Amino acid sequence: MSVGGDEVAELRRRLAEAEETLRAIREGEVDAFVVDGAGKAQIFHLDSGDSFRAFMEAMDLGAAALDAERRPVYANAALEALLGCSADELQRDGLFPALGPAAPKVQALLDSAASGKLSAPIGLVVGGRARHVVATAAPLQLAFAEGFALTFTDITDRVEAAAAEESERIGRAVMASANEAVLVCDETGRITHASPAVSRIQGVSPVGRAFEEAFPLVFAPGAATMGAEDLVAIAASGSSVRGIEASMAVDGHTLELLINAAPLHGSGGKVHGCIFTLVDLTERKALEKRQALLMGELNHRMKNMLALVMAISSRTLATAKDLPDFRVRFTQRISALSVTQNLLAEKSWTGLTVEELIRNELAPYVAPQGPRVTLTGLAEQVTRDTAVSLGLVLHELITNAVKYGALSNEAGRVAVTGQRQPDGSFAITWQEEGGPLVAPPRHQGFGQSVIARGLGQASGSARVEFRPEGVLCRMTLADTSLA
Amino acid sequence: MSETNEMSGAAPLRLTLYVAGQTPKSVAAIRNLERICGEHLGPGRYLIDVIDLRQSPHLAREHNIVAIPTLVRQLPVPIQKIIGDLSDTQKVLVSLQIDASR
Repeated sequence: MSVGGDEVAELRRRLAEAEETLRAIREGEVDAFVVDGAGKAQIFHLDSGDSFRAFMEAMDLGAAALDAERRPVYANAALEALLGCSADELQRDGLFPALGPAAPKVQALLDSAASGKLSAPIGLVVGGRARHVVATAAPLQLAFAEGFALTFTDITDRVEAAAAEESERIGRAVMASANEAVLVCDETGRITHASPAVSRIQGVSPVGRAFEEAFPLVFAPGAATMGAEDLVAIAASGSSVRGIEASMAVDGHTLELLINAAPLHGSGGKVHGCIFTLVDLTERKALEKRQALLMGELNHRMKNMLALVMAISSRTLATAKDLPDFRVRFTQRISALSVTQNLLAEKSWTGLTVEELIRNELAPYVAPQGPRVTLTGLAEQVTRDTAVSLGLVLHELITNAVKYGALSNEAGRVAVTGQRQPDGSFAITWQEEGGPLVAPPRHQGFGQSVIARGLGQASGSARVEFRPEGVLCRMTLADTSLA
Repeated sequence: MSETNEMSGAAPLRLTLYVAGQTPKSVAAIRNLERICGEHLGPGRYLIDVIDLRQSPHLAREHNIVAIPTLVRQLPVPIQKIIGDLSDTQKVLVSLQIDASR
């Protein structure tokens, strides 16, 4: 077979062209090829793909290209790091096993992304740590077919920073609104934050000072902790102590404090310091002391009152004519006792004057402001026990006057006069006149007995004279009976 | 894309540059060709067609293009091909039979 000159020339030209093509490829002067596939010319890139990959590898966000069957064609190093798996694992197992519980959400995103770019937040757990990620899917024209571009932006730091900021804001709001003094210390025990309530304990801000120096606490004997620095050490070691009572001297006063100490946990459970709450118990302690005293006093008074009621009962019974007489007299005497008790209660058990006592005992029988009763110099205050005794004595004097004496007719008058004596005692004179002629009683009744002995219990004395022109009673209250 | 510089007298060089979008070698070839023609041919002595095979891949068949970029000198005949980014100016001048000394 012979070859013509033109054919040789053509062959030489094509050989030269092939050699030129090889040279250009070898020397890196071409970056794309035309390939005839299935009767259709297609362009394949060389360098541009590498550049794109280099660009993708340089990015912080995780990126992957998926083919139409959603198999990974390419995944960058950032995505491998984010998912905690290698490129080989992604190629072998696919992307979705690595996404864990978030896989269905990403599948749904890809379903919807065929017509355009879409994003959705997903949660990934990588290396035991939860990550907040925004997944974005978009259609991607691959060299050989349609596919997807999938990117993952890790916004965990941003979300955590926002959460931390929110926590900080809430923490500050809680501290600002707390009634208790709240202190935050760092791990060395230096105070870093103090709530506004701290200023009620310490006039100056303790921030920047060591806890034990700013709060020189004295603990009750037998308390488990010996000093403020021990509280810091306990809390900083991760333990909590609650309800420790301590006292502290501030400006010459002693404050009673209830202290709680707890560790301050940071992210990852690490102890960053400690939190103290200090509750000022000073007022409560004073109140408790007062309550205990009052309870003791109430008990004492109840016993006295019951003893008094028993005495009134037995003596009224001894002198009563019959049972109806007993009922009337006993009820009146208990009522007199009740009047005094009510008066004392109204006055919070202090500061009752002799005049107030007389006015209240007189009230059921005669107008104390009327012309038949004159009260002079009786503004002296008496003690509680004296008020009870004097109330009973006055009751007997008044009932006697109403039944037999100056208040039993229309013309009689009673004058009650009080005067301080040089020895500090207080003399009260009950003087009746204008009543019926008085005859001394044939025997000493309960009334006289109460008058004679009643004030004796309250460091005083009483003496009654049944003068024909009217009863005269002189009572003396020792200065210890006066309030 | 085409650049035309007609002149009276001798027929101009008719050149066709095949590229594939904005790949680095395609961009380099366009720039090198414009520089060489501008420096060595002068206005009106050449006509350049740039064909983007990414948009019109079927046009590759006309000149049997395999590698990109490729420059084809259509006129004067015979047809000459220069494959690569045209960074070797002397080789381009020789292949296009342009007298560098002019």
